[in-house]
Amino acid sequence: MNNSSTNASTTSTTSTTINGGISTPNTGLKNYFKTPEGRYNLHSEKSHPSTLLHFSHGKSVSQVTLANLKEKSASTTPTSSSGYSATSSVRSAAAKLLGTSNGGRALSFVGVNGANKVVAATTKTASIGNSSNGGSLPMANFDGKGLYIIFNVGDTLYIGDLNTQEKDPIKSINFANSNPVCHTFNPEANAKDGHDLLIGLNSGEVYTVSLRQQLQDIGKKLIGAQVYNKDGSINNSRCTSLAWVPQGNGAFVVAHADGNFYVYEKGKDATIDSSFSLIKDPTHFSVAHAKSNKSNPVARWHICQGSINRIAFSPDGTHLAVVGRDGFLRVYDYQKEQLLCGGKSYYGAILCCAWSMDGKYILTGGEDDLVQVWSMEDRKVIAWGEGHNSWVSGVAFDPYWSPPSSDSTGENVMYRFGSVGQDTQLLLWDFSMDELVVPLRRCPPGGSPTYSAGSQSSQWDSAVPSGTLQPAPCMRDVPKLSPLVAHRVYSEPLSDLIFTQHTILTACREGHVKVWMRPGSSESISTDSETLSSSTEKTPIPNCK
Amino acid sequence: MGAAGSKLEKALGDHFPEGERYFGLENFGNTCYCNSVLQALYFCVPFREKLLEYYEKNKNPADPEENLLTCLADLFTQISSQKKKTGVIAPKRFVQRVRKENELFRGYMHQDAHEFLNFLLNELVDILEKECSAAKDGSENSSEKVANGPRNGLANGVQKEPLVTWVHKNFQGILTNETKCLRCETVTARDETFLDLSLDIEQNSSITSCLKNFSSTETLNAEDKFFCDKCCSLQEAQKRMKIKKPPHILVIHLKRFKYIENLGRYKKLSYRVVFPLELKLTNTMEDADSEYSLFAVVVHVGTGPNHGHYVSLVKSHNHWLFFDDENVDMIDEAAVQTFFGSAQEYSSNSEHGYILFYERLSNETS
Ligand SMILES: [Zn+2]
Repeated sequence: MNNSSTNASTTSTTSTTINGGISTPNTGLKNYFKTPEGRYNLHSEKSHPSTLLHFSHGKSVSQVTLANLKEKSASTTPTSSSGYSATSSVRSAAAKLLGTSNGGRALSFVGVNGANKVVAATTKTASIGNSSNGGSLPMANFDGKGLYIIFNVGDTLYIGDLNTQEKDPIKSINFANSNPVCHTFNPEANAKDGHDLLIGLNSGEVYTVSLRQQLQDIGKKLIGAQVYNKDGSINNSRCTSLAWVPQGNGAFVVAHADGNFYVYEKGKDATIDSSFSLIKDPTHFSVAHAKSNKSNPVARWHICQGSINRIAFSPDGTHLAVVGRDGFLRVYDYQKEQLLCGGKSYYGAILCCAWSMDGKYILTGGEDDLVQVWSMEDRKVIAWGEGHNSWVSGVAFDPYWSPPSSDSTGENVMYRFGSVGQDTQLLLWDFSMDELVVPLRRCPPGGSPTYSAGSQSSQWDSAVPSGTLQPAPCMRDVPKLSPLVAHRVYSEPLSDLIFTQHTILTACREGHVKVWMRPGSSESISTDSETLSSSTEKTPIPNCK
Repeated sequence: MGAAGSKLEKALGDHFPEGERYFGLENFGNTCYCNSVLQALYFCVPFREKLLEYYEKNKNPADPEENLLTCLADLFTQISSQKKKTGVIAPKRFVQRVRKENELFRGYMHQDAHEFLNFLLNELVDILEKECSAAKDGSENSSEKVANGPRNGLANGVQKEPLVTWVHKNFQGILTNETKCLRCETVTARDETFLDLSLDIEQNSSITSCLKNFSSTETLNAEDKFFCDKCCSLQEAQKRMKIKKPPHILVIHLKRFKYIENLGRYKKLSYRVVFPLELKLTNTMEDADSEYSLFAVVVHVGTGPNHGHYVSLVKSHNHWLFFDDENVDMIDEAAVQTFFGSAQEYSSNSEHGYILFYERLSNETS
């Protein structure tokens, strides 16, 4: 533990000195936070080159996408597709060599089609601190080789390498005419062309590309992209959220700021635009299908007036959650194209949403500063997390967290989730249906029973019929959760949050990403042994899957 | 100016709301503090309607005495009765009247928009109360006047029906200041009326959070003990503010100008404070959470308290408009977010939401 704390602080100091241009003022930000399971330490930061000034800064908010490229970097077959993989091991070696010189710049090697080239030293390493403990560098054995992050800042999309502690991205892609504002990655997108990364622009245009292909070329252009909704020919409002349809054979969904989302299928011709019937009543939900079965997109779903802010498929792909400006969470049966359930926030827009791994719960966060836990079984809000001092911009369940084994009795399922807000805080929450204390209700509408604590919740959901939207609940009627941990991550408002097996990633609106090492993870990596640190003996497993 | 008007008309096209007028206001030397507040008030529709009504009733008085109320009613009527849909109006008489009434606003210095709003609403209340009691004189004895006299407080306990003007009906809410003696646990409640809420702000926070802090529990101890009537001595106590009666129009003033003691002067806080387009007041004593919708924002532009500029954002018939003295433009609803403030102290962004106007939504259920 001592060791790791030194590491963390060194990391932070060096990163500020090296990247002097980036304003990381001493604002009392800690580079660790404590949880019952141990201490999370700041492992590294990812950011855009500080010299670049973004005029469009502030206009678009940085989002982060995690990409786990499947091929192992160890096997270096000299095919073009694995050229990048060779990169990763070479880079690690380079960093190892140069990392010992404190503050020095590391040359970085990027393999292009199997051949390694020395690239101008535009990238710097921040992993220096770790060389002092004599062990191997974390990046050498970082779990999940080929783990990348994709984040947008201004008119540029950056790809950062999570296997190293380098701050600068390994690739930046410039979009000349419009800002990339959302993106998503699915290694199993299963598209024939191998495209696995979706990028949505402010202009409404959508690109699909192969991430691997981008990594094979260090230029600033998008390689081998397929464009959809070119020049906003189908919809010229801003893209707000994207999703690959799980097991959808390359089908994907694109949400826009005008309350519509479109379904695209890869087999269809991207060059022929579909035409759709006019939306008769903009206040009502409607689904229109393309008149031609050859063109793209194949369907338009009109959800609401005002922007859709986020869409998310349930892990099995059967349900689609949609949240937006009107403050409603709506859950659809994707195949049947029907509304299943949904409800209004306490007030204001909902900005983000995420499913639990078992598909039983949906988290939302928004302009009422609340983190909302929605139960699919009860078809209603079952808890409000109070703890943010501003809007909640990112929520996620932690699929790798496992509850403490001591008190896990019977069927009590515990969940860990996190949220980030414009208050610059990361909050972590533990949640279990059995521990929810439902307040006594003073004025039960429709004579619903008085609630006590616990899991008889299924008894009082009978009042909620399928296919209806719930009004905003009263403050006093909803059980409250308190955060386990509240940690100020940055001096800027936060925008996104991702749990990975070994880390938590937090992003701020301006495009700085922080990588927080889970307790135990850093030790296990640096010692390269199979025994985990004594503090955590459990192997992280996805909950309830 | 004319061109700008037609530009707005073109932008709205067929959506130009029936009977609505969008007029810029001429600046008479640093009178943007006044113009920005006037626009927000003009688009406070229940308030505007009362003023137009007042103008109609008092059109041809026997004694045409001019005051702030008549000047404001004249101005609003002048705007609403324009033949053209857009254009510029010079609020000359109104500004002259303001300068006559209050020496604070006489100079050509930069003025505080919130101070002006406060002054204006209280003046209107005074005038209406005077008119009302003058009308009642003779017919009734004026015991009511006593109850109505001090605007702040004393409403607790025996409560005579106070004189409620339409300014009150629009803007007035009641706060309850609850103090609990920590020795005998007696709770003392004292009511205070308010026309707006002035909130302390924090960096990277929300209005929700500022309101929460406003009504959070504060402990009175050490130098600041509370005199408990029951214990007959100074005791430690807990104090909190609750909104007893939420106003129809909720005006929230963000305390962006803070006196910094070691500087010996005021400093502008450019903090990023997000405000949602819909808001609920939670700490009320009413049963349902009252819901509000944002319809105007007075924005301070500039880095310091003694200079700068005021503009306003106004929502009218589901369109957002940007009023900058003579100029009126349409803006996107999403652009309201650019007036939240700066997440970092040193930032090129200097346009910050300063006074927020929320209108209460009618309760669908009850
Ligand atoms: Zn006492």
